[in-house]
Amino acid sequence: MTDHHRAAISDVAAAPVGRRLFTGALLAGLAGLSRHARAADPIRLGAVLPLTGPSAATGAQEQRGLQFAVTKFNAAGGAGGRMIEILYEDNQGRPDQSVLAFNKLADLNKVPVIFTGYTGPTLAMAPLATRKKVLLVNGAAQGDRLANASPYLINTLPVVRDEAAVAARYLYETGKRKAAILFQNDAAMTSGRDDFAEAFTKLGGTVIGQEQSSFSQTDFRPAILKLTSLEPDVLFVMLTDGLGALAEQVEQAKPGFTIAGTSFFADPTALRQKGSTGWIHTQVRVKAPPETAAAFKQQAGTEMDFFGIQYANAGSIILRTIAGVMTDKAELSGEAIRTKLFAIRQFNEIIPTEFKTNTASMQIDVVKIVDGKDEFVKSYTSE
Amino acid sequence: MLLLQLLVNGLVTGCALGVVAFSFSLVYSTTKIFHVAHAGVYTLAGYLAWSLARAGMPDIVGLIVVPVVCAGFGVVIQRLLYDPLAQRRATHLVVLIASLGLLAIVQNAIAVLWSPDILHFDSTWRVQTIKLVGVTLNYAQIATVVVSVALYGATLFATRHTGIGKRIRAVASNPFLAELTRLHPRRTYAMVMALASALVAVPGMLVGFDLGLQPYTGTTVLLTGTVAVIAGGVGSLTGAFLVSIVVTVLQNLSLLVMPGQWSVGITFLIFVAFMLVRPRGLFAAA
Amino acid sequence: MEYFYSYLILASIFVVLGLATNLLVGIAGIFSVSQAAIFGVGAYVTAYCLVNEVMGFLPAVACAAGACLLLNIVITLPALRVAGDYFVVTSFGIQLLATAAFLNWNGATGGASGMAAIPPADLFGYAIEDTGSMLLLCVAAMLLCCLAFYLAMNSPYGRLLRAIREDELAVAASGKPVIPAKAAAAALAGVFGGVAGSLYATFLSFIDPSSFDLNASVLLLSMVVVGGARTLAGSIIGPFVLLALPQVLTMVEIPSTMAAGVRQGLYGALLIAFMLFRPQGLAGQKL
Repeated sequence: MTDHHRAAISDVAAAPVGRRLFTGALLAGLAGLSRHARAADPIRLGAVLPLTGPSAATGAQEQRGLQFAVTKFNAAGGAGGRMIEILYEDNQGRPDQSVLAFNKLADLNKVPVIFTGYTGPTLAMAPLATRKKVLLVNGAAQGDRLANASPYLINTLPVVRDEAAVAARYLYETGKRKAAILFQNDAAMTSGRDDFAEAFTKLGGTVIGQEQSSFSQTDFRPAILKLTSLEPDVLFVMLTDGLGALAEQVEQAKPGFTIAGTSFFADPTALRQKGSTGWIHTQVRVKAPPETAAAFKQQAGTEMDFFGIQYANAGSIILRTIAGVMTDKAELSGEAIRTKLFAIRQFNEIIPTEFKTNTASMQIDVVKIVDGKDEFVKSYTSE
Repeated sequence: MLLLQLLVNGLVTGCALGVVAFSFSLVYSTTKIFHVAHAGVYTLAGYLAWSLARAGMPDIVGLIVVPVVCAGFGVVIQRLLYDPLAQRRATHLVVLIASLGLLAIVQNAIAVLWSPDILHFDSTWRVQTIKLVGVTLNYAQIATVVVSVALYGATLFATRHTGIGKRIRAVASNPFLAELTRLHPRRTYAMVMALASALVAVPGMLVGFDLGLQPYTGTTVLLTGTVAVIAGGVGSLTGAFLVSIVVTVLQNLSLLVMPGQWSVGITFLIFVAFMLVRPRGLFAAA
Repeated sequence: MEYFYSYLILASIFVVLGLATNLLVGIAGIFSVSQAAIFGVGAYVTAYCLVNEVMGFLPAVACAAGACLLLNIVITLPALRVAGDYFVVTSFGIQLLATAAFLNWNGATGGASGMAAIPPADLFGYAIEDTGSMLLLCVAAMLLCCLAFYLAMNSPYGRLLRAIREDELAVAASGKPVIPAKAAAAALAGVFGGVAGSLYATFLSFIDPSSFDLNASVLLLSMVVVGGARTLAGSIIGPFVLLALPQVLTMVEIPSTMAAGVRQGLYGALLIAFMLFRPQGLAGQKL
C-alpha cells in the first residue's frame, strides 16, 4: 500500500466508532433512557462484515464500497440535513460473532438497518432480523437459501441460481456439452456449482468433473491439471477470490477449453492478466459508470472491484430509501425502510436494480473478456 | 501425463514447504520453542519484497535484502519475547500461546499496513514459462525449486561442518552442559532464530512471486510444515525437507483417485495413523 | 438487553467448553488442540436430530454427549503413545481432519452451507424460544457442569489425574490405573463438549464449519490459559473475559477501515502480555 493509499483511507474513515459515542450508547442502553434524536444527530446504520481473518479481503472491499456510498450521500447533504454514519462490526466470517454483533447494533445502537455479507453469517442473523424488525441488507452473498430466509432480509444482488442458469443456457446454446467445474468450498459457491450442474444437465449437457479450491488458497494448479485431463468443452468457475492467480495459472497451462463464470469475474486483478482473455461470464450489471469508478479510486486509493461496486450500490439504495422515509416524516424503523423500499421498487443508483421480491432482479448480460475489457455478447433477464 | 504434471507440481510446492519445515525444525530442536510466529515471518517477507518491488527495485534485490531484515526480526523476537519468557521459566504451553499472540500481531499488522487483499507482483519474469518433458513450469516455480534445494544443501553443510553449526548442535543436544562449557546458549538461540528467520523469508517471497500474497495464509503452511518436522523426526533437516515434499506430492497425487476437497483431511489422517505406528518419526536421531 | 443476554449465553457455553479443555490440558496434561472438533460434533449431531425430527431436544443432547464421549476417547488415545509436542501436532491433524469432514460430508452436515433453521431447544414440551429462557437453560447447564467438574476434581480420581500429570511413570509403577484415568478424563471432556455443542446449535439456529475450526480450538486454549489452568474459577473467568475483549476493544477509537485488524493485533498483544506477566492466568496455578 502506498502512502497515498493510506492517506486516502484515513480520509474515508472519517467516521470511526467513537468512544464517546459508544459509551453514550452503552449508558443509554443500560439505563434504558430514550434518546431523542436531534436534527443534527447522525443517522446510524450498522454493518457486520468479515474485517479480519481469511475472508478479510472481501470484507475490506465491502467496507470501502459502503463507505463510498455514505461519503457521496453525506457530501450531497445527507437525509434531510442529517448525516449518515455506519458502525462497522467485525464478525471474522463466523456466525456466532455475527449474532453478537447483530444484537449489539440492534440493542445498543438501535440501528434500523444492518449490512451483511457472506451466506453463513447472514443466515445466522436472519431469524433475529425477523424478530426485531431490523432490515438486513445483503449486498453480495449469493447462497440460494438467502432468497427466503427472512422477510427482513433484502438481497441487492440476485442469488447465484439466476446467473448460473443463464450461464448454462448460453454455454449450451453455443455448443458446449461437457462441463467441468472449479469451485470455492463455501456456501454461495457450492450452491452456484449445484445450480449450474442442475441447469446444464437439464438442458442436455454433462458435468464431467468438479474440483474445489479451499478458501483463500491461490494454488489452483492441481485442480486445473486434473480437470484439463478430463477434456471438457468448458470450465465453469465459481470463485470469489484469487481470480488473478487463476488467470496466471491458466495462461501457463494453456488449456483448450473455454473458461466461464459469473459476475465475480469482474475482478480488476484478473482482468489485468493476459490469461483472462477469452473468458466468458455472466454479468449482472455490475459496471459502475466510469465517473463513479474514478471517484471511488480517488477516494479509496484502489480500484472499484466487484464487492466495492455491490456495496456502493447496496448502500446507495438504502440511503435513497432512508431519504424517502425522512421526506415522508415517518419514524425511521426497519419496518418503515422496508416498506419504503418496496414502494420505490425501482432503483437507478449505481446499478439499475428492481425489487419484485426480497431479492433484486437485474438484467444479466453475457460478456467476453478481451484484453482486460468486457465485450458484450448477449442479454438475459433474471426472474 | 497427468500423473507427471501433478508429481512435478507437488515437488515444487514441497520444496518451498521444505524450507519452512527445516527452518522451523532448526528453531524447535535447538530452543525447544514451538515457534508458531515463524508463519508471521514467512508472510512478512513476501510483503517486504512486494514493497521493495513497488519502490522500483528488481525482485532479486528483495531476495537478498529481505532475509537480512527478517534475520534481524528473528533476533528481536528471541530477545524481546522468548528470552524474557525463559527467564520467567515459562512452560511450553505459555510460550506457545505467546507465540500465537505474536503471530496474530504480525498477520494483522500486515493486513493494516498493506491490505487484506491478494497482492501480486508486477514483474513479468516470474510468469514466463518453459516446457520440460511435457510439463510447463514458470520461472517463479523453477526459482523455487533451485533456491530451496540450494538452501537445504547449504544449511546441511553449515550445521555439519562449520563452527557455528557444531555449536548449535551442541546447545541443542544439551543446553545445560553448553552453559557450563561457555557456549553461551542464549547467544546461540538468537543466532538460530536469525538463521531460521532468514531461511523462511526465502520461500515466503518465492511463493509470493508465484501465487500472490495474503496476510493470513501462512498458518496452514506452517502447520503442514510442522507435520513434516514431526513425521520426519525432530532434529533431522533431511527428514523435514523430504517429508514436506512427500506430503505435497501425495496431496497432489491424491487428486487422481478422489476429489480434492478430501486431500488435506486424508493427508492428516495418514499422518495420525503414522504417528501411532512410528511415534518418533522417520529419521529420528537416536 | 438481548445483546447482554446473547453475550452471557455464549460465555456460559464457552465455560462448559473451557471446563473440557481445562480438564484435558490443565489437569490431565493431555495437550489437545482438537476440542473444537468435539464441540462441532456435538452441535452437528444435535442439529441433525432436530432438523430431521429424529428426536426431541433432550434425547438429542444425550445422543450428542454420547457420541462426543466415545469420539473424544478415540481421538485422545494417541496421547497414550505419543507425548508432548508430538501429540500437539497429531491433534492439530485430527482437528483439520474434522474440519474437512464438516466441510465435505454434505449429506450429514450440509457442507460449507451449514445447517440453518435448527429448531429451538425444548424441555418437556416447553419450547425455549426467547433469549431470556435460553439464558436460564445455558446458565443451568453451565452450573451443572461446574458442579460435576468440582466434584470430580475433589475426589480421589482428581488427585490421581494430577499425580499422573506430575509423574506418570511413578503413578504407573505404583500400580494405579493410568490409562483408564486418562480415558475417563477424555470421556468427561467429551460430554461437556457435546452438551456445549447442543446448546450452541439451538441458540444460533444456524451452524457451519467456521465455528469449529482450528481457530476455535486455539481460542479455547487461550481462554483456559488466560482464565487460569487447573482451577474451576479459571475456566469460568477465561471465557467471560476473552469473549468480552473484542467487544471492549471496539471502544478504542481507531479509523474504521483498519479498526478490525488493529483490534485483532491488540488481542495478540494482550495474550503476550499475559504470558509474560501473569502466566498462571487470572485465577490459576502455575502452568
